[in-house]
Amino acid sequence: MSATTSSLEPLFTILSYSYATLETNFYKLPGSSVVARYVKSSHQNDPGRTLLEVFLIIFAIRTLLQSRTRADNSGKHFISFDEKEIDELVDEWTPEPLAAELSPKEQAELASIPVIVGPTGPKPKLSNGKTVLNLASYNFTGLAGNEDIKQSGVETLRKYGLGSCGPPGFYGNQDVHIQLEKDIADFLGTESAILYSQAFSTISSVIPAFCKRGDLIVADRGVNFSIQKGLQISRCTVRWYDHNDLNSLEQVLEAIEKERQKKRSPLTRRFIVTEGIFDHDGAMSDLPKLIELKLKFKYRLILDESISFGSVGRTGRGLTELYNVPADQVDMLVGSVANGLASAGGFCAGTNIVVNHQRINGTSFVFSAAMPALLTVAASEGISILRNTPSILSTLQENIRAVRVILDRVDCISIPSHPASATIHLHVKLPSPMHLSPRVPPPSPSLSSSSSGKPSNPLSPTPREAPQFDAELEEKLLQDVVEEALAQGVLITRAKRLRGQELNDIRPSIRLAISAALNKKDCEKAANVVKAAFVKIVGRQRR
Amino acid sequence: MAINPASPTPSMFRKKPSSAMSTAASYLSAVSKADARARGLNGGSTTSTPALSLSSSVTSSSEDTVLHEDIGDSADGLYYPSVPPTSEQVFTTVHTEFGHCANESYRYTSRHTPGEPVKGVVEQDPPYYILITTYVSYLLVICIGHLRDFIGKRFKPSAFRHLMTQDGYAALNSDFDSFYTRRLKSRIDDCFSHPVTGVPGRTILLLDRYSTDHNVTFQPTGTRTRGLNISSYNYLGFAQGDGPCADAVEESVARYGVSACSTRREVGTLDLHLQAEALVARFMGMESALISSMGFATNSTIIPALVSKGCLVISDEFNHASIRYGVRLSGANVRMFKHNNMQALESLLREVISQGQPKTHRPWKKILIIVEGLYSMEGTLVNLPALLELKKKYKFYLFVDEAHSVGAMGPHGRGVADYFDVNPRSIDILMGTFTKSFGAAGGYIAGNKALIERLRISSHYSAYTEAMAPPVLTQVMASMASIMGVTIIPETKNSSSLSLLHSSNAIPVPVTNLEATAYPGTAPSTALPNWVSLPPSLCDGSDGRMR
Repeated sequence: MSATTSSLEPLFTILSYSYATLETNFYKLPGSSVVARYVKSSHQNDPGRTLLEVFLIIFAIRTLLQSRTRADNSGKHFISFDEKEIDELVDEWTPEPLAAELSPKEQAELASIPVIVGPTGPKPKLSNGKTVLNLASYNFTGLAGNEDIKQSGVETLRKYGLGSCGPPGFYGNQDVHIQLEKDIADFLGTESAILYSQAFSTISSVIPAFCKRGDLIVADRGVNFSIQKGLQISRCTVRWYDHNDLNSLEQVLEAIEKERQKKRSPLTRRFIVTEGIFDHDGAMSDLPKLIELKLKFKYRLILDESISFGSVGRTGRGLTELYNVPADQVDMLVGSVANGLASAGGFCAGTNIVVNHQRINGTSFVFSAAMPALLTVAASEGISILRNTPSILSTLQENIRAVRVILDRVDCISIPSHPASATIHLHVKLPSPMHLSPRVPPPSPSLSSSSSGKPSNPLSPTPREAPQFDAELEEKLLQDVVEEALAQGVLITRAKRLRGQELNDIRPSIRLAISAALNKKDCEKAANVVKAAFVKIVGRQRR
Repeated sequence: MAINPASPTPSMFRKKPSSAMSTAASYLSAVSKADARARGLNGGSTTSTPALSLSSSVTSSSEDTVLHEDIGDSADGLYYPSVPPTSEQVFTTVHTEFGHCANESYRYTSRHTPGEPVKGVVEQDPPYYILITTYVSYLLVICIGHLRDFIGKRFKPSAFRHLMTQDGYAALNSDFDSFYTRRLKSRIDDCFSHPVTGVPGRTILLLDRYSTDHNVTFQPTGTRTRGLNISSYNYLGFAQGDGPCADAVEESVARYGVSACSTRREVGTLDLHLQAEALVARFMGMESALISSMGFATNSTIIPALVSKGCLVISDEFNHASIRYGVRLSGANVRMFKHNNMQALESLLREVISQGQPKTHRPWKKILIIVEGLYSMEGTLVNLPALLELKKKYKFYLFVDEAHSVGAMGPHGRGVADYFDVNPRSIDILMGTFTKSFGAAGGYIAGNKALIERLRISSHYSAYTEAMAPPVLTQVMASMASIMGVTIIPETKNSSSLSLLHSSNAIPVPVTNLEATAYPGTAPSTALPNWVSLPPSLCDGSDGRMR
């Protein structure tokens, strides 16, 4: 017994010696006493505490070392295979084709897209050699083909070249862009504006720049696709109100406020998102009421004026001019330079804070090249033309009236658009809902059981009483109308939408876009052609 | 160099031993002539040596450009070439926009040597002392920032109003979210969003500005500074206010105006769109192509039409924001792999194919791998040969974003496929932008005909986004033709664009039988609008090749 102890004696001495040197050396290190004190205080004669700390440190190191792109093979759903099995599974797997073949209907649709040879304008020439009256292009103010714009465009080309060759953050920010942003802000009467290089990508970037997860958006059920995508990207909570029904909006806002007070949840950013003139049907928002509600409930307003900017108001400033509401009442006023000024791109106008925030957070502003200088100058020129010639907008309104007078009275057309809207949507009006073929399913099965009269569920984008229509049949009829009108020399188009990708099924329509470049006679002639085509095609269907 | 006949193998960037100068005597006479003209035009502003005064300002077209408003110090080579140029092409370009490579030995063919392994990503970790000092500096700046916030909120609340809840409105951007922007980035904001003017070519004209309030606002000083431009995406120098491309664009503005005024599926399709798309398809060596009016939107509006729920996107971790945006919209599952690491990709592929969809374990509908040709933020090149090997085995679809590589890589400028000498049709989807190499804007998708037609029908791009503007289309076509070279084909019938449209109703593919499948071939003149003037330097491809 003692023999073993004595034999271990040198070992113990070495151990105690090495421990002593280690300790003295440790205390020699600068700051070591702090560490020692920390360890002592956290240990507190309880090994469990030290163990916990050690675990925490190991866990932190493990998390840090783990790659972000590691394979996820730890979940409970993971099935482990050996290499041979994986090889077999790989061989076995056959993917779907990348692109599904076009159906005959889709092919027909593709073939029916008109091709304009030469410039677009009030009377473009089509690929079949025919010159037609154009009631389809977004050329409200007739700026397309304007000689002054062309000339300043060429001058800009010689000074700046074509492309800007860089995103705005990195030397793509040319003086012409700054000028156009200033022009838009001055034109609308806001502090500042920011220019995006594509109209569609504007609001789908503006919304996620401000609204994050946890924020609240109250949106119209009929908002356009770009807004829908912006809402999807932003991942915030969305509540819906009935299309262009501000009473419904008020109810939703009240319900939200009640709920918030009940739950005492913290205040988050809250927005109302809607359109000035709706892309889907041409209906117009009641801006003064909207502003009143937003101020009452303390929401910020994101207003998409892609259609209304450059088409309503005395000089085309949009809804704010029409209703005589100061533009700074709208927190984020989004518009389309492509539609309103017959150039390209989009903008968001607001306060300096709103605009500067987007210069770093607006995804498609930051990560995309700035617009070509030529198009920017064309838009600036367009604004100065609109400012100086209010007669353009009065001509446009006269043309709209001329067309509406003829089309309003046709009994197989229903028009949801506002009388002042430059886009006029024409729906097929069939005699009675009995006409609908029985194979049309109800839009949502959950709705069929509900009693009418109750407000729609704000959580769901589908309204309680979704309009019933036979999209396929109506699309076909409308396409026939388009072709009939084209044969008579009037270019119109169906409003093209991605059915199935939109939140709600939108009733098919023919979208007319009235232009100030046409004279009244042409408009009347074109409207009569459209009317005749409708009567012929839809009338045949009725019989 | 335009006087040089076209080389038998049309390749840009290729080293050519033969001198472009025809004789020494002709060069000398050209120099003296130019010198005399320059003196006559510039009055007394000639510089000491005759060679230095040989400026581009002798060309009549460039006299009125903004570039000549302030002639600065000529010794730095920004305004005048410091070495006498050796080609007569210099008389057709503006020196401040486009610098000529006078020395043939500087030319380099961008090409991958077959068989050589593709270089992996070099780990460029900085030394520890740099890391530590950087972190310490960050910490310091963050601490100071918080301190300033703390003091500022108490003593100057008006400046912080937008960061705080007020009158029942939540802060538009919380002080925490915007801390980095306000306290860190704003210190270096003078480097960003610098306003510029003029052509973003070889040099760039900066509008000087200063800030009196620590980069919150900037005031212009009214002066300008010209700098050598190594920041614009102008790889081939097509950002020019002069030359055949700008001439073509001018003509197109006169003919077409500046806008197409609608979406492609409604009434925004012009004959120019069809011609440009056919030319892009031919340039890329693909069956068909489509053109979108914005580079970012090309990815963000088209990826959702390629994949959907039940599909898997495997994305390189350093992919561009537009790809992430598009994938997020699509609703497909996403997995990432380590940047350019083909082993990691293969093991990931084995895992996802064997596991199938999460929870249900059903097989994936499609797997789409999205990579970039040349990564915009890293400058690394995709390992395309290895990727194509994997593609054979694992049957995924491949999407290559060539925003930066198209035009700039490969002996014929056709991008990474050309660089690695692989058949472009082995890649399913080639995407790229026109902003960079072509000096235009927008982007394209090239692929097989069925795919492109499907995208025309069901992508956001065709139904909702504005069609590309005619001048931009023209720039794309002219610069592309300049790279490809143009074969003059005698016109058969009336107007080429019309005859094309008559021949096939839907999407015409204006390739002649002559060289319908040649890749990388030249562009037949019928593929261009008949009003585009074709100077000889553009036709023989030397204009593009010399870039």
